[in-house]
Amino acid sequence: MLKQTLTGARSLLTGMKVTFKNAFKKPVTSQYPRERIEMSQAYRNVIVLVEKEDVGSHDCIDCGMCERVCPSFCIKVEGERPEGMKRKRATRFEVDFALCSECGLCLDVCPTDTLGYSREFDQAGYGRNDFLYDLLIPYRDREETVRDTLRAAEAEAAAAKKAAVAKKAAAKKAAEEKDAAGDEAPGGDGDDS
Amino acid sequence: MTDFPQIFGGHWPGVLAATVAIMGFITVNALMLIWLERKVSARIQRRYGPTEVGPFGLLQTLMDVVKLIGKELVTPDHVHRPLYLIAPVLVFAPLLALLSLIPIDEGWIFHDYDIALVLLLAFSSLNIIGIFAAGWGSNNKYALLGAVRAVAQNISYEIPLLLAVIPIVIMTRSLSLHEIASAQAAYPFILVQPLAAIIYFIAGTAETNRAPFDIPEAESELVAGFHTEYSGMRFGVFFLAEFTHMVIICSVATILFLGGWHGPLLPGWLWFFLKVYGLILVMMWFRWTFPRLRFDQLMSFAWMILVPLALVNLLVTTVVLKL
Amino acid sequence: MAETMELVPDATDPKTYYLNMGPQHPSTHGVLRIRLHLEGERILGADPIIGYGHRAHEKMAENRDYLQFLPNSSRVDYLSGMIYNLAYCQAIEHAIELDVPERAEVIRIICGELNRISSHLLWLGTFVLDLGGFTPFLYGFDDREKILDILDSITGSRLTYCYGRFGGVTMDVDDEFLRRTSDFCDYFKRRLGEFDELVTDNVIYQQRTKDVGVISSDLIQDYALSGPVLRAAGVAHDVRKTEPYGGYDRFDFDVPVGQRGGDCFDRHTVRMEEMRQSLRIIDQALACLPDGPIMAAKVPKRIRPPAGDHYFAVESARGHFGMFITSDGTDIPVRHKLRTPSFVNVSTMPVVLPGTMLADTVAILGSIDIVVPEIDR
Repeated sequence: MLKQTLTGARSLLTGMKVTFKNAFKKPVTSQYPRERIEMSQAYRNVIVLVEKEDVGSHDCIDCGMCERVCPSFCIKVEGERPEGMKRKRATRFEVDFALCSECGLCLDVCPTDTLGYSREFDQAGYGRNDFLYDLLIPYRDREETVRDTLRAAEAEAAAAKKAAVAKKAAAKKAAEEKDAAGDEAPGGDGDDS
Repeated sequence: MTDFPQIFGGHWPGVLAATVAIMGFITVNALMLIWLERKVSARIQRRYGPTEVGPFGLLQTLMDVVKLIGKELVTPDHVHRPLYLIAPVLVFAPLLALLSLIPIDEGWIFHDYDIALVLLLAFSSLNIIGIFAAGWGSNNKYALLGAVRAVAQNISYEIPLLLAVIPIVIMTRSLSLHEIASAQAAYPFILVQPLAAIIYFIAGTAETNRAPFDIPEAESELVAGFHTEYSGMRFGVFFLAEFTHMVIICSVATILFLGGWHGPLLPGWLWFFLKVYGLILVMMWFRWTFPRLRFDQLMSFAWMILVPLALVNLLVTTVVLKL
Repeated sequence: MAETMELVPDATDPKTYYLNMGPQHPSTHGVLRIRLHLEGERILGADPIIGYGHRAHEKMAENRDYLQFLPNSSRVDYLSGMIYNLAYCQAIEHAIELDVPERAEVIRIICGELNRISSHLLWLGTFVLDLGGFTPFLYGFDDREKILDILDSITGSRLTYCYGRFGGVTMDVDDEFLRRTSDFCDYFKRRLGEFDELVTDNVIYQQRTKDVGVISSDLIQDYALSGPVLRAAGVAHDVRKTEPYGGYDRFDFDVPVGQRGGDCFDRHTVRMEEMRQSLRIIDQALACLPDGPIMAAKVPKRIRPPAGDHYFAVESARGHFGMFITSDGTDIPVRHKLRTPSFVNVSTMPVVLPGTMLADTVAILGSIDIVVPEIDR
């Protein structure tokens, strides 16, 4: 009985020793509004449209893959085919972040890899409608120029393709077609500026 | 012997002034202790604790009290109104009387009674009536369970507490706290009565219902125990009472075992407060280290270990003194 | 069951009373409700009443294709989300007979074991909190935070990972991840000693847990319990050992069993030892992490398991987690049953709780490590 009491008392003292030691270690709390933690590279938040270098804007082609795969049905994409262009451009890309479960399936299926994660982490709002994000906002103002560039690039590519086909078909005509392509490309640049 | 009434000139103004002084002390002390508790727990758990309001967050508890006072006093429908309303007062009032018995320094005492120790132990058991009234009056199962536990626990731990105090009384042949403290000018009694000191401190922790003996509140079992149904400043009064009770238990421990105001260099009152708050820190350290005992284990600990030990201690003391 | 499920209890006996513990109660770990029949502090009867956290995961699975259920999988049990998430991937891979590259398998094991440690840490914290000790709770959370940071660095999420994909994992691990993981393992081995000093050896803790809430192996057979609860009763059964999956047979680890017949303290020691074993597995896995792809080369675009029943089980932090998928050969399962260990474990409460004290209720409930959303699904 006495021995039990003594071992018991010793175990209590050991416990107190542990808490005592910890009391003089540096606190682990990060003082949130004053210090902001650096989010990890992989951090997942609401999706954003990533600027693609070769396009100079997002590259959403309104394929609807993300819309279909989303388990929370929180993505709405609409698009149109701009005049004179083969590829479609998104005209509306909305995410209801209040529904999103951040699974990342939309990123997996995106054929042009134009979806990415936002680095924000402290969104707050007063209602669920505050989390309706329009992902096209940063790209709206330059959409027309981007389309022009794309149209030009597409024309160029089409011409190049045509040229290649023609080259294959008849080596004789190749030189002429190349000249025509060379004429068109500077024309596209002229529209931009 | 000068007591406070004389200092303040005349009897009644003196009593009034001392009462106000004690009330003020209780409030400030409780505020600071709650802050301290939060800081100590934070440090032990490697957090910062309150930092925002005032320097080091010192005014945080003041703001909390302002908030508590500002809250609506909700009285649930099914309570026994008289008991429910009077319970916080019953818990708090005895402590007010108790603080007047504590000598802070040579001659610094509100009134030096010959039987101060008896009075003190008697009064400190009184607040259990308040706790039981709170539990019974709340008409809530958790509150009732908490109250029942509190009563059983307090009655059980009164006995080792008393038995731990008696050797000191025998040694000094006095029940006056002032005289007991004065008798320790040469050495504190903890050196000759270490066992009694430990038993007193454990039983005292149990008396204040603090962890690891906090089973009447036991928030993981009984939600909040006897004060489940209290809100606003009524709850605040229970909190105030708990921290004041801590001060009293630790003050008495200081006077009985640690030599009261005696100590080198520093003035007596400073020594006294240093010792008291040192003990309170140890109590907080207990709380943030240990899990809670179960109710039956708590009882058997009191009756099977503390009481026999205290009795043996008492026996040895009397025999040694007789020799 | 009929007599225990009546909604209005018989309240004629003046000496006994009913106490509703939950759904709002600090120690029921969420929204579990237990109706206790008490005489003083002694428990005469106990009925767990579940369903407050029901989210219809199984029904959701019947309404979407296999890939779309992926984010749900880690939400079934949010404390070991990684294990559940990977388990779902493995179940589907098993059904469509898809081989996973070795590197992905080892990464899965590392992440799964890290997740197991974090789940056990949270259990340890909340269990001691139920017993009234505050500080181990925060220490546990502190260490768990380190694990979450590590997992965050490759999965991008801290709780509901959604890291696995059919045929592999989403992101490859880098040297930084490996270094942090091995640093954590070294640190945590020392830290476990501190937990032992603070918690395991503590006399109050031992008094509260020893010989409390004995779940014997007989009872376990009747109720088909699993996980640490089963092992605490002395049965060395671990799905990772008995039916190895996902490459666990390549690693060397022990299955700890309880020595005292299955009381709360046994469940504690088993879990503490399991954390050590998990560290062992992680150490081995870090040492033998092969190079190679992290996704299978040929993952079918549409997941269509062959018609019939498919069953796949893993050892989650709480026990035997099984998925029973009935497929008719289309994109959408006909039935997707989740066999969750907490649900089974909590079903013993009407047998285990009577005869104990009110304070033991929280200890026993805490020791079987329930996650209420996992019970309700």
